[in-house]
Amino acid sequence: MPFVDLKCNEKIPERGKHIYVHDPENSVIPACNVKTIPGDMTERGCAFAGARGVIGGPIADIIAMVHAPVGCAWFTWGTRRHLSDLYPWATPTRLANSAFNRRYCAVTDMQEKDVVFGGMKKLKQSCVEAFRLFPEARGMIIFTTCTTGLIGDDVQGVARQVEKEVGKLVFTAESPGCSGVSQSKGHHDFNTQFYRQVKALRQRRPELKMREEDKTDYDICLIGDYNMDWDLQVIKPLFEKIGVRIVAVFSGNERIENLVKMIDVRLNVVHCQRSAEYIAHMIQDGFNTPFTRVSLYGIEQTAEALRKTAAHFGLEERAEKVIAGEIARVEKAMAFYREKLAGKRIAIYVGGPRVWHWIRLMEELGMEVIAGACTFAHEDDYEKINARSKPGVLVIDSPNEFELEEMLITLKPDLFLAGLKEKYLGRKMGIPTVNSHSYEKGPYAGFAGMVNFARDIYQGIYAPVWRFQDGIPEMPQREGED
Amino acid sequence: MKLTEIPVDGIPYDHLRIEKIPVTPAFAPRDPELLPASSRVLVVNPDRICMPIGAMWAVLGIHRAIPFVQGAQGCTTYARYTFSRIFKEPATIATASFHEDAAVFGGRMNLVEGLRNLVVRYWPEVIGVVTTCSSEIMGDDMTSFIGEARMKLQAEIGPERTEQIAIVPINTPSFAGSHVEGYDRAAKAFVQSLATDRDAPTNRVNIIPGLFYPGDIREIKHILQEMGIESTVLFDISDTLDAPLEPPQSIPYYPPGGTHVAEIKGMANAAATFALQLDAGGSGARYLERKFGVPAVVGPVPVGVVATDTLLQNLGKATGCATSPALRAERGRLVDAMADTFHHTMMKRVAVFGDPDYVSGITRFVCELGMTPVAVSAGTESKNFAAAVETVFSEYQSLFLDPPKVFNGSDLFEFEEYLKTLPRLDLIIGNSKGVDIARELEVPIVRAGFPIYDRFGYQKRPIVGYRGAELFLYEIANAVLDHRYPDDRTQQL
Ligand code: SF4
Ligand code: SF4
Repeated sequence: MPFVDLKCNEKIPERGKHIYVHDPENSVIPACNVKTIPGDMTERGCAFAGARGVIGGPIADIIAMVHAPVGCAWFTWGTRRHLSDLYPWATPTRLANSAFNRRYCAVTDMQEKDVVFGGMKKLKQSCVEAFRLFPEARGMIIFTTCTTGLIGDDVQGVARQVEKEVGKLVFTAESPGCSGVSQSKGHHDFNTQFYRQVKALRQRRPELKMREEDKTDYDICLIGDYNMDWDLQVIKPLFEKIGVRIVAVFSGNERIENLVKMIDVRLNVVHCQRSAEYIAHMIQDGFNTPFTRVSLYGIEQTAEALRKTAAHFGLEERAEKVIAGEIARVEKAMAFYREKLAGKRIAIYVGGPRVWHWIRLMEELGMEVIAGACTFAHEDDYEKINARSKPGVLVIDSPNEFELEEMLITLKPDLFLAGLKEKYLGRKMGIPTVNSHSYEKGPYAGFAGMVNFARDIYQGIYAPVWRFQDGIPEMPQREGED
Repeated sequence: MKLTEIPVDGIPYDHLRIEKIPVTPAFAPRDPELLPASSRVLVVNPDRICMPIGAMWAVLGIHRAIPFVQGAQGCTTYARYTFSRIFKEPATIATASFHEDAAVFGGRMNLVEGLRNLVVRYWPEVIGVVTTCSSEIMGDDMTSFIGEARMKLQAEIGPERTEQIAIVPINTPSFAGSHVEGYDRAAKAFVQSLATDRDAPTNRVNIIPGLFYPGDIREIKHILQEMGIESTVLFDISDTLDAPLEPPQSIPYYPPGGTHVAEIKGMANAAATFALQLDAGGSGARYLERKFGVPAVVGPVPVGVVATDTLLQNLGKATGCATSPALRAERGRLVDAMADTFHHTMMKRVAVFGDPDYVSGITRFVCELGMTPVAVSAGTESKNFAAAVETVFSEYQSLFLDPPKVFNGSDLFEFEEYLKTLPRLDLIIGNSKGVDIARELEVPIVRAGFPIYDRFGYQKRPIVGYRGAELFLYEIANAVLDHRYPDDRTQQL
């Protein structure tokens, strides 16, 4: 059986079905997207994080109203690096230092009495006040969390009232942290609720749809890109150069009114196929708009993405030209990194899709992925991982900290691509790490971003610090007190 | 991006050419009616987090201790993330992983199973069970759940091994207070459950540092060592959250250091308890006083000359120990540094914000430097804070033409909008959440307080004690110089 029992899991054998060594002859899908074992030191976050942090947060011109006690809101204030170019004014002559979507944190600050008597009045008043304080906002998304989910506030009702009173778009994203097993539930909730609300809105206010005369035959929507560290600044021009028009990005640096027009495009190009493919499916089912899956990481995959998109519109020739030009731009740098990085062994731990997005990218750099772990992947992610992996790769679903440690200590990878929490764990073991969620110094997507990614990997592996980790050489040591 | 070739070192930020797009064509002032936090229910830019993270901070300062958070995963994962952002260290914290069923049936199974799973894999010596909003709303009965978990453990690993694990419940519903109170409740909970006997009084002192950083705790320990005082630092994060990189690292990862359970047990025998922050830890000190007659010395926050003097005097009174020549020299160097710098600090208009104790401590120090505080803001409402800054202001009346504006429990939005109305401001002192404000007002910011995540090293540089104050002073003075003297006039200072 390809499933393996790690030593650290002796006492929780149920983890065995989440962990396997890939064998193409006997390919398996682990138990996934299931409940976390309490106390197993999981790295997973909550559904609210998926809705507020991942998808809602990147939208540029809305107020993210967190209906919660202060903590849930504080934790999602400016943390993920989903950047935007839309800035409020700080003074009459200066724009703010951070973009609107990361500059403010709006929260209803639920107190004990609100928990007892319900928080709807408070929410309503907060929303109205927020629109008065931030008249520049084009809309609002109200997020619920465990507290407000548990007390059962009717936030949709409040949203309708506020929309009526203020005249701006008000959406709700009800995905309390405890409503699912991981962030993934929040992605799903956001997708379905947002789609439903956009559809209803378009019926209610047809003027928000794209006017016929504004449409072109080359309109696409890029779904599932969140503009981490300005990925979009390298991705968007590529699509424009091949001759398509990006009407909306779901949801990186996007204006809410453009998102209402998502449904008016000819093709949906889906990058993150875990957090956002749902909405592409729904648009396909509801409006017959096709979608295509792409990866925008690495040279080959980015090229492939452009080819796929171009093929849909008969723009193949232009695409080839763009690709050739882009590859020429990065060739020198890539040659440098290929030489330095060839043969290095990599372990990846991310949310899910990036494991399979990055397997080929690592191979392009001559490196080998020896282990992959996912926080919230589903069956289809593991199918994709299996399809791209070499035999012998260790795969862990929803790893807990102990498992990651055992993985690192037994496999001793040359580099550990991980999130912020785990990166410091790897470092304590002397294993180089690169922050793969928000990046070290992005963008990492597209052709140009690939060079940044390779650079950060190179810096990780070749930093002189690793030479000094073994203590003072040849020196008698006195025992410490501890 | 007009680069024809991407250089080997990638695309730097400035080559990305991101143009800032204004969200409205022109500046419009914010609705003045809604600027005071007291005039609205909405909170914008809170300068406080929730109770559990304060309690988790505390537990992480105990040797081989793991916080177990009774709630859904986010409350834990976000906190771990926050610790890693601040300390650049791993933070091992377990969660009960509430999913939908727990929300319906309560968190009993999650706690019982969760503690079991944690114990048999990690073998911690201490578990701090931290509750969250959800477990409190559902009314989880922690005492009975923990009892059940203990029984389960006894059956599996035997009574003896179960006995060796201290499990301390800390009730921290966030809707009832901030991280400051979370720490405070943890302090009380730990002494209450572990320091149960005053059987052999000693001349040791207890130190409850509050939300001070590793660098501060090391400075306090240095003072104690110089005075020859033995101590128990309760919640000693100075090693646990500032661990060296020296593999091989055994797994599961436990950082070195932290307060040992035996030390906490001995706290009832101490000569006195010093709570360095009034709101974060004071309850622990007062509990020991009430219950065992261990005198509680709560505050003042030892930032600056006088507050450090007071700390030393109080330590001396409690133990009969004296200051050392080294400490006196440190004080002398601090005073010397103040004499060297006052032309650049005096009459500079400064705004201070953060946790109440940080702000009251720093406010006193900047007054000692002759600076003029124009606005001080505590993100968590606090009576101690109000009283402390009032005392400072009355002592230093000569520094002010107008009385400084005091915000108590307000949000940073109100604070920032107020600063924007001031005719002049020279410096802001506060945590990382004030960086935007400082940049927009084009004034320097000196980072201090909780949390600082956007730079390296602040968790290691002390601001307490004479040496800490001296370092802090240089940062303040140099920030003023950097900002006001961009040319070569600083060739003679
Ligand atoms: S405010 Fe309450 S519910 Fe939110 S993160 Fe803090 S403890 Fe969790
Ligand atoms: S209370 Fe719920 S929504 Fe808020 S951080 Fe915790 S798990 Fe997430």
